[in-house]
Order: sequence, then C-alpha cells, then structure tokens
Amino acid sequence: MELSAHILAIVALGWFTALCVRYFTHMFQLNSYTEKVQTAWMKANFLRLVPAIFCGVGALVCAFLPVLYARLGFALLALLLSLLYFPRKAKKPLVYTARVKRLLATFTLLSAAVVALGILLGGTGEFLLLGAVAALAPFTLLLANIVNAPIEKAVRNYYIKDAKKLLASHKRLRIIGITGSFGKTSVKYYLTALLGVKYNVLMTPESYNTPMGVVKTIRSSLRATHDIFVCEMGAKYVGDIRELCDIVHPENGIVTSIGEQHLESFGSVQNIIGTKYELATGIPESGKLYINVSSETIDKNRPPRDAVTYGLTAAADYYATDISVSARGTTFTLVHGEERQEYTTRLIGEANVVNIVGALAAANDAYGIPLTEMKGAVASLKCVPHRMELLDRGNTVIIDDAFNANPAGAAAALRTVALFDAVKIIVTPGMIELGDKEEELNAALGANAASVCDYIVAVGEKQAKPIVKGAKDAGFDESRIYVAKTFAEAMAFVNGIEQGKKKVVLLENDLPDNF
Amino acid sequence: MKIQLGVLFGGNSTEHEISIISAVQAMLSLDREKYDVVPLYITKDSRFFTGEALLSIENYKNIPALLTKCTEVILVKENDVAAIYKFPPKAFGKSRIGHIDIAFPIVHGTNTEDGVLAGFIEMLGIPYVGCDVASSALGMDKFAMKAIFREYGIPVLESKLYTTADHVEGEALLDRVEGAFAYPVIVKPVNLGSSIGISVAADRDALRKSLDTAFSFAEVVLVERAITNLREINCSVLGDRFSAEASECEEPVRGDDILSFEEKYMSGQKGGAKGMASVTRKIPAPISDEMRTEIREMAVKAFRALGCSGVSRIDFMIDGDENKVYLNEINTIPGSLSFYLWEPIGVKYADLLDRMIDLAMKRQRARKNLTFSFESNVLSGISLGGTKGAKGSKM
Repeated sequence: MELSAHILAIVALGWFTALCVRYFTHMFQLNSYTEKVQTAWMKANFLRLVPAIFCGVGALVCAFLPVLYARLGFALLALLLSLLYFPRKAKKPLVYTARVKRLLATFTLLSAAVVALGILLGGTGEFLLLGAVAALAPFTLLLANIVNAPIEKAVRNYYIKDAKKLLASHKRLRIIGITGSFGKTSVKYYLTALLGVKYNVLMTPESYNTPMGVVKTIRSSLRATHDIFVCEMGAKYVGDIRELCDIVHPENGIVTSIGEQHLESFGSVQNIIGTKYELATGIPESGKLYINVSSETIDKNRPPRDAVTYGLTAAADYYATDISVSARGTTFTLVHGEERQEYTTRLIGEANVVNIVGALAAANDAYGIPLTEMKGAVASLKCVPHRMELLDRGNTVIIDDAFNANPAGAAAALRTVALFDAVKIIVTPGMIELGDKEEELNAALGANAASVCDYIVAVGEKQAKPIVKGAKDAGFDESRIYVAKTFAEAMAFVNGIEQGKKKVVLLENDLPDNF
Repeated sequence: MKIQLGVLFGGNSTEHEISIISAVQAMLSLDREKYDVVPLYITKDSRFFTGEALLSIENYKNIPALLTKCTEVILVKENDVAAIYKFPPKAFGKSRIGHIDIAFPIVHGTNTEDGVLAGFIEMLGIPYVGCDVASSALGMDKFAMKAIFREYGIPVLESKLYTTADHVEGEALLDRVEGAFAYPVIVKPVNLGSSIGISVAADRDALRKSLDTAFSFAEVVLVERAITNLREINCSVLGDRFSAEASECEEPVRGDDILSFEEKYMSGQKGGAKGMASVTRKIPAPISDEMRTEIREMAVKAFRALGCSGVSRIDFMIDGDENKVYLNEINTIPGSLSFYLWEPIGVKYADLLDRMIDLAMKRQRARKNLTFSFESNVLSGISLGGTKGAKGSKM
C-alpha cells in the first residue's frame, strides 16, 4: 500500500509536469523561443502559472500530513490540476520539431534529477522537491533552453553552413530577396507565378522568412533544375535582413513597403527603415533593387543606392492606372515608359494591384520577360491564403485577410468590402505588435469599420476595447457590435445573422493562441 | 549542382539497336557544362542498367559483356526526382547510387515509343523530354493519326483497317480490298515503325503475300493505295502544341520502291553505325520553294495537332501524277533525333537538345499548376455502407 501510494504520487507528478511543460513549450514555440518574450508573456498571463504554483503549495501542505494520506492527497491534487493544462484545440498547435524534442529531453533530465534526489532524501524533503518540480516547471523549461543553447547554436550553424554550401554549388541560380513590412508574401507568390512563364522557380513557402525557415527551404527543396530562388525575408530586429543576406547573397531585391509592423521589437521607425534597407546594401552594385513608392515611408526615405520604383502614380517607373476594382476581380493598366499594357485578375483589393505591379516590374526588368507574355499568368493568379482570400460559400462570402493586419491594409480591405452588395460584417481581434500606437490604431480601425460595415464583431475582450470605443465614437449603433471571447463564438454569431441578403464577412487579422 | 539528366534507351522493341545508336549520338552531344548525363539502358527484357561503359558505341558489339561492366538498377519516385537504386540491393551499405532530375527517352518502336515508356516516367513524377502518353500513342497508330490529321484539313491518303479476324476470311478479304482500292496498294502493320512488315502489292498474289507478312507482325493492318510516281520528303519539327518550327527538308534516296529496314539502318555499316544519318539523302530536298513552304507548314500543323513535344519527323509523299503532297506519317522520336535536318538551318545538335529539355521543363511547370487529384478524400464524405454501386447492385 505504502509503495503503491508512493508510485502513484510520482506518476501523478510526472503526468502533471508533462501537461504543464507541454503547455508552456507550446507558448514558447509561439514566442519564437525567445526568453525575453516568454517571460514578458508569463508576467502578462500570470494566471496561467497558478495551477503549477498551486501544485507546489499543495505538495508543501501534504508534506506535513501523515505520509500515506500525504502521498494519496498529492496524487489526487496533481491529477486534478493537470486538467487545467489539458491540451485544447489550438489555431497553431505545438509542432514537435527536433528542437522541441531536444528541449523536452533536457527538461526531463533536469526534473528527473530533482525527483531522484527527492526520493533519496525521503520524507518531508521528498515532498518539497516534488512540489518544486511541479511549481517550477515553467522556469525549468527556460533553464533547459539555456542549457541547450550551445547545442542549438551548433545545430543552427551546421544547417546554415550546409545551405550555403548548396547555394554555392548551384552556380547558375539567380536569387532575389523580398522584404517589407507588409506585402512581401503576396509579392513573393505573384513573382514566382510570373517567373514561372519562363523559368523554374524555388520560393520560400508559406511564411518561412526567418534564417531557419530559409535554410530549411534550401536544404529540402533546392534542385539543380531551379533557375531562380525567390527568398522572402522577414525581420523583427535590427540586423535580421543582413543576416539573411549573409546566408543567401541575393542578386536582386524588392522592398514592398515600410510600415509600423513589429514596432515593439524594432524600437523605432528609423530602425525599421534601416533594417529593410539592409537588403539594399546586401545586394551587389550590379544587382537591381525595386521599391514601392506608394508606401509613404519609402517615398520619403529612399534607399542608399539606385532603385527601380513601382507604385500607383506616374512618379514611378512602373505604375498602375485606370484601376477598376469589383467584387469579381480587378483590371488595371500598367505603364512603363512608352509601354502600356492592360491586365485582369481575379484578385480583389487595391493592395493586390500594387503587389502585382511590383512582381511585374521585377519579372520584366531583372529577368527579361516581356510584359505582354505575363498577361495570362496575371489572369491566373490565385489568392494567397489569408491575404484577401476570397472564399465563396454561396450565401456567405468570406474575405479571409487574417495574416498580420496593418492599418493601411485593413483600410484597403474595408474599401473593398464596401463594394459588395450584401450585409457587411467584420470579424477582428484588432492589431498587435504596434507598440504605443496600438490603441490609437485599433480605435481608427473601429471608426473605419463603422463607416462601412453593418455589424462589427470584435474577438477577445481586452483587445476589443479600443475597437469598440472607436466605433461607438463614430456613431455606430451599439446593438450591432458583438464582443466574442473566441473566434468560434464570433463565427457562430455571424452565422446567426439573418437579413435575407447575402453576407460578406471580412476576417481582419487573426491572433495566434499566445494572445 | 548540375542537372542530372537520365537518357533512357533500348527497350523491348524491334528497333532496340537503332535506339542505341540514336542515344549514344545524343549523349555525346549533350552539353556537359549544363548536365551530368546518366545513361539508363533498358534491355529487351525491360531491365535497367547504368554505367560509363554505355557511352561508347564500340561496347555494344557484345551486349552481354557490356552488361557485366554495368550496374543493374531500378528507378523510384522520390519527391520531385527519381532516385536510382542498385538492384538487387546491397547487403551492406547504401543502395541508392544517385538520382535523375529529368528523363530523356530516346527509344523507337512499339512497346517504348508508343507511350509505354512515357507512362512509366509519368508515374515517376519527373519532367521528361518528348511526347506525352497521348501523343506518343497517336504517333504510333497510323490509322488514328490520319483521322486527326484529316480533322485538321491535312491531306492524307484514304485507308482501311483490317484485323486478324478479317485475315481469316482468306480470299474474301482480298475481294474486299480489291473492291476498296485499285492496285498497286501498300500494306502496313498499323503500329510498327521503321518499315517493318510493310510491302507494296501490285496484284492479287502479291496482295495475299503482303497481307500474310503484315499479319505476322501485327493484329491490325492498314491498307492504302500506293503512289507509283512517288517522291518522299521528310521534315522535322521542334516545339510543342503551343508553338513549333520546322527544319530543313530532306529527300531520302531509295533503291527500292520504299526505304526498307536494311536501307534505313544497315547502309554505311562499314563506316560505323550512323543510323538514319548515313542513308544517302539529299539535304536540302530538291523541291520548289513553294513546295518547301507548303511541306514545312503542314509539318508544323500536324505536329501541333497531335500535341507533340520535343523533336519529331514528319514523312511526306509527293504524288508526281497528281502533283499533290500527302502526309504519310509522323515519327515522334525520330532516328538520330533528326539532328542532320537542323544543322543545315543553323541549329547545332547541342542547342537542339537544350531546347528539347527546356520544353520538358515548361510542360512540367504548367502541369504543376493544375489539379490532378483532390487533397481531400472524396470517399470520406459519403456513406459506404453496403458497398452498393451507384446503380444499386451489390458489388
């Protein structure tokens, strides 16, 4: 009996710790394995630490009860508390990458060492140490991360070296880097499709725009038959783009926009500008740089070298005019010097026109594809997932604009929604990572939505506040505002709206589970 | 990182040896700066071998000896390349000895050129040079290709198809043929290449013999009238169904009524096997400019009508009595890849091969943008209880 209770207590502790560390590892992964971000998140979400602390306190209390009851009591407590860390369906679930496995292995070793020590000590000491393992699990995780740091660095360096070797051995491969606060994934998709008219193109998939993502793409997908590599380059900190340029050595570059994304991590707009232009200095003299001058910040802060401009006014080398946007698609005329060409596309939204122009400019100017030969490719362009992606569900049309909203993009999205003859609904949790300006920009979003939409659904009470305020201040009917706790709840509400007409639902931004 | 180009040749075909010649010629001309050439020889019992020794035409004098110097292999789909594994696998160590990015089939005749090899490569999922399955099959069926050419307004001779079931009728068949055509007629197996089993019959006895010969090679035979005042003109085409261009025209010189197998391939044996390149030929063909233009345009039209890709050779017949041009047939993988028809207009063999490979990549890119199978399991949405077919009958 004694032994069974002992084993039960340890197993229950193991179970609790496993679920607890699984949860915190998931959040750690979403926080890009950055300690600073994780600790800030833990401070802001203190409640999530409570079950672990409670378990520790429980162990402390049990230490002073008769041993048998203590162990059974602790086991029961641990099992009950573990329910609070039970994995829930998540938008971006935990991926058990090799790194996560290494992290959990080290964590297990550290925790097991403490448990072993506890068992040796026995009695009160054992309970104290068992309790410590449970309560400190979130912190032991961070310790494991520190312990693994040299290994991770070695692994990372090996992958980078391997990718560099592969690129060096592929002599005829031409590489172009694409960066920008927003629009870079769209331009990447469009450019790849246009270049496909003549060339075999490798592109970084989805949102793989970090050194590890780019390196993974090269190591797993680069083939001898590829002619061009289109590399999306993301940045959150100063030096991020330079790091990517050091690995990939692009020949050409596109800067799609400069805005206030990740203002928190960059620190200032000047830093954002400097970092984006690390691409300008990262390409050789003989390379070509394309910049979007309809992005105000770019227009006012030109790069430190020659660049081909693109945009929506005659000031640019390649620009779109006579733009006609409808619910069914877009037509525009591209002007380049003496040449004028008309294009049609099924994509909606003005933001897409600028992105297509950028892709056309690079494909034509750097890779020599005549503008006339790309009309078919533009007409066939598919929606980029979660970027003004049109999903026609019969009676309800969903415009999925869920990825990293920026104020300009959100405004453009609303202008597109205004074109639909339907009940207009916006579902949004607001915008994040905009630092001090967050509240002001979210209020502006609310006001803008008020002028276009029939219903406003905000997701997440905390984030929703400035949006709701902005809408109300603009005179929006309060009864048509709904604040949902989760996305599922929001969509349930949307489905319930019955007005006899078709519905168009704009999904603007979508926060991952660590918010 | 050079492109690994696998050249597949040989195969279970009556034109096995000719494809060896065509392939070795091509492999010698491929640009080694751009490609690592991987020779993949297919024996007559459809086994695959690879090895440096396959690059020298001399070694083919004794094929069993040659194979002992090579490695038997199998090709396996591996993501977007085809991996090459030693077969049988090694007991210890790695059996994977390489991969190919692109396949370049250089095969002639039934069981290879008719879509069989193209189909095999399609399942490996890699880009390949030349006609796809459909156009390969059409290009090998003399009757079917004529039907399509006729749809496009290309002049072809009227023909009739007979099977072994008809052959059994004996004299009755001869009566029927005589009822349909005036002598002389030409009898051909419908799906063989390089003039095998083909003969001209000027009277009933000859017809009987021709039919017997043809039916010994194939189950389905085609008969059409034989042009007496005949000149043959060949023209090659490079491109795909969207755009193509024609080569120089040639007039192959024949000793007999039609080029025989011997003439096509065995002449010039002394000077080393040169295949079609060694048949005495007049390049450019001594024809008027108008006729040259007419033939070249017809060739491109025919090529695009069948949806061909790469390089093909289209053979024409000029009826001197009618002064009319007829399209005889298309060869989707021509002997020696017709390089000798391209050099006169300034396209070097290495460039010709590069362009064929580019066309293969172009087709692959277009394919990748289309949907072939649905991501979701269509079956998962319907109830499969009772396994009744759509019409309610038990399966």
